[in-house]
Amino acid sequence: MDSALMLRDVRKSFGSTQAVDGMTLTVPRGKLYGVIGPNGAGKTTCIRMIMSILFPDSGELSVLGRRSALEAKDRIGYLPEERGVYRKMKVGAFLIYMAQLKGLSAEDAAARVPAQLENMALPGTENKRCEDLSKGMLQRVQFIAAIMHQPDLLILDEPFSGQDPVSVRLLRERIEQEHRRGATVLLSTHVMANAEEMCQHVVMIHQGRKVLDESMSGLRRQFDARTIHFEPLDPDADPSPLRAVPGVERLDRHEGSFTVTLSDGIDPAGAIGRLAVAVAPARVELARLRLEDVFIRIVAEGAASSAAARALRADLQAPGAQGSFI
Amino acid sequence: MRRVWLVASREFLAAVANRGFVIGLLLMPAIFAGIVALMPRLMESPGEQIRGEVRVIDPTGQIFDGLRSALTTEAITRRRQESTRRVLENAPEAVRAVAGDSAGTAMDRALGTAPALTVVERPADADLQHEKSWLTEARPADAPRRLLVVVHPNAVVPKDGSTQYGTYDIYVPENTDERLETTFYDGFRETALSARVLAQKMDRAQVEAVMRIPRATSTTVALNAERQTNVRFNRTLPFVFAGLLVFGIMIGGQTLLTQTIEEKSSRVIEVLLSAVSPLELMAGKILGQMAVSLLVLALYILLGLVLLSSFAMLGLLDPLLIVYLIVFFLVGYLVFASVFAAVGAAVNEMREAQSLMTPIMLALMAPWLFAAPIGRDPNAAFSVAMSLIPPVNTFAMMVRLASTTPPPFWQVALSVAIGLVSAVAAMWFAAKVFKVGLLLHGKPPTLGTLIKWARIA
Repeated sequence: MDSALMLRDVRKSFGSTQAVDGMTLTVPRGKLYGVIGPNGAGKTTCIRMIMSILFPDSGELSVLGRRSALEAKDRIGYLPEERGVYRKMKVGAFLIYMAQLKGLSAEDAAARVPAQLENMALPGTENKRCEDLSKGMLQRVQFIAAIMHQPDLLILDEPFSGQDPVSVRLLRERIEQEHRRGATVLLSTHVMANAEEMCQHVVMIHQGRKVLDESMSGLRRQFDARTIHFEPLDPDADPSPLRAVPGVERLDRHEGSFTVTLSDGIDPAGAIGRLAVAVAPARVELARLRLEDVFIRIVAEGAASSAAARALRADLQAPGAQGSFI
Repeated sequence: MRRVWLVASREFLAAVANRGFVIGLLLMPAIFAGIVALMPRLMESPGEQIRGEVRVIDPTGQIFDGLRSALTTEAITRRRQESTRRVLENAPEAVRAVAGDSAGTAMDRALGTAPALTVVERPADADLQHEKSWLTEARPADAPRRLLVVVHPNAVVPKDGSTQYGTYDIYVPENTDERLETTFYDGFRETALSARVLAQKMDRAQVEAVMRIPRATSTTVALNAERQTNVRFNRTLPFVFAGLLVFGIMIGGQTLLTQTIEEKSSRVIEVLLSAVSPLELMAGKILGQMAVSLLVLALYILLGLVLLSSFAMLGLLDPLLIVYLIVFFLVGYLVFASVFAAVGAAVNEMREAQSLMTPIMLALMAPWLFAAPIGRDPNAAFSVAMSLIPPVNTFAMMVRLASTTPPPFWQVALSVAIGLVSAVAAMWFAAKVFKVGLLLHGKPPTLGTLIKWARIA
């Protein structure tokens, strides 16, 4: 089966700034891909080139098997980072107009609007003017505009920006719903926590270059097998048996819990069993992979100083990001 | 093409289906008609009769008696009727036909009832300062207005060795109705004229007869008909048509500009660009606004025709002119609308558009400057040149077509062709700028930046 999206050595510069520097990427059909990276990494430029809103200086790309998105516009749903509505237009009319531009008939579009609004927790807003809706509500309207025509490829540029936690959850459910329907989804975000919970595959971009292109399961294997969270049943229990377990390299104590770092080459599944035997656990689990940590590690391997790494981390930490264990 | 159509119809509906448009453009003629209908009624309420006392110091001794009889209420009324009659005589036949007698009465009403003045003579050697103080005295209720007039000694007979006649000095209290002075002047003119003619031992009626030479109305001789030339109509027509052309272009162009800026600043543009190409978007917008302009233009043309036919002047208008108006509107609109669209796409807000708009506005103002010279001399070198130079060629050619001597057909065709070529060029330029400018937010671009964009895009 051909890929939904293919970029080969795509480059784009604005004046002296190299925004995208030799991007090569293949997104198979039916996948949920996340493009992550700090602000200014080149995510939006990449997406705009995929959408044929900008054109690459060099390189090749194909979208849904076509040479350009222009030839497949009606099968693509796009939520740009800079999104707006006609303020004076009514919500229903705006959605119908957008769907018509995407090839639906007016009747067909009108028939879909109420259910879609209901589905995005916006019931009864059809006849309200766009300017009367809150910013968060408008973002949901714009999301509907992107999926009304049931696209084969859904491209979402920073879909969660400016959303409250409830909307983020709703939006995530709807994106996953679209994915289950069969759409290939490509979403960009600088909030890595969102990507790590949703995506099957992540692509990291830094300074216009791809620095990682890996499935989430592969990433978990590769980066995270060595850290275990351990919470003893009895908070006052003596932790020293844990340190004695074979394969434990380090033990860090926190408020009521421990972080266990395993030596290289140790099977975490076996280690968890042995730890549970040593001290009765309330909770023992492999530490969740934090893309943010992976990203910092990859970038820090380059020339980045610790100060640069700290700056990057600050940029990547969006609302809801927690501390890390590396 | 389907998308262009969708964009165009949204633009059209967004522009037409809002309260501002309906009020501004559809109700305007209605309000105008309302005023025309209401004015005579408003004028029917007669103005208050001016009453007052006029004191005259007349060193010549030859003015006062005449002045007193010229300033009686009856004499003032008679003079007014006379001047109304003269105005109507010069008015176009159609106006006379419509206005008829009622015009005279309407004018009487507008001027109010003729004043009732008491004219009092003061001795020739009266002290001026003393007389002036009378103006500031508290006034009795029955003679509230006052004038003090000092007739010049040479008002009737010039001083020896001079041909210069004198007039009079007039002193008024504060808040004097200006019409009172006019009424006095008319009376004085009448009296002094008679006195001067008499002093020369001539006959007034004879002098007036000698002086009167009425202007002849020409007759236009056409191939199959002769008709009375209507000078005023002919002189106005080029202005009207140039005005309609500019007006039509401005309506569409301005909306195009503001709409594009709004789409850009509200960031709806990128959402749109995922569904339509910049070229489709621009074409749709230009077509949509063109429809709006055509609608308004049609409305105004219709109104004009109704007015003309109600004045029985419909025959004076060559129907082909309206066809030309539409043709030149389409050509001119495409040129200007493209530029408006490009500027709208290039800037971030209306304020930044101002500097880029200046040359465009100048070009749109040009017709007011050259409508008169071209209308007077439609086949002069200047007129021909202007009607071939874009972007003003459409306006100039429209003025020439509406003038009394229309240009040869090949020039019209050439002007249209030049217009079409410049429209294509403008659209090419606009498409480039549109494509680059839409997603750029930053410092306001200059004309140079736009040209650079057109080159790189």
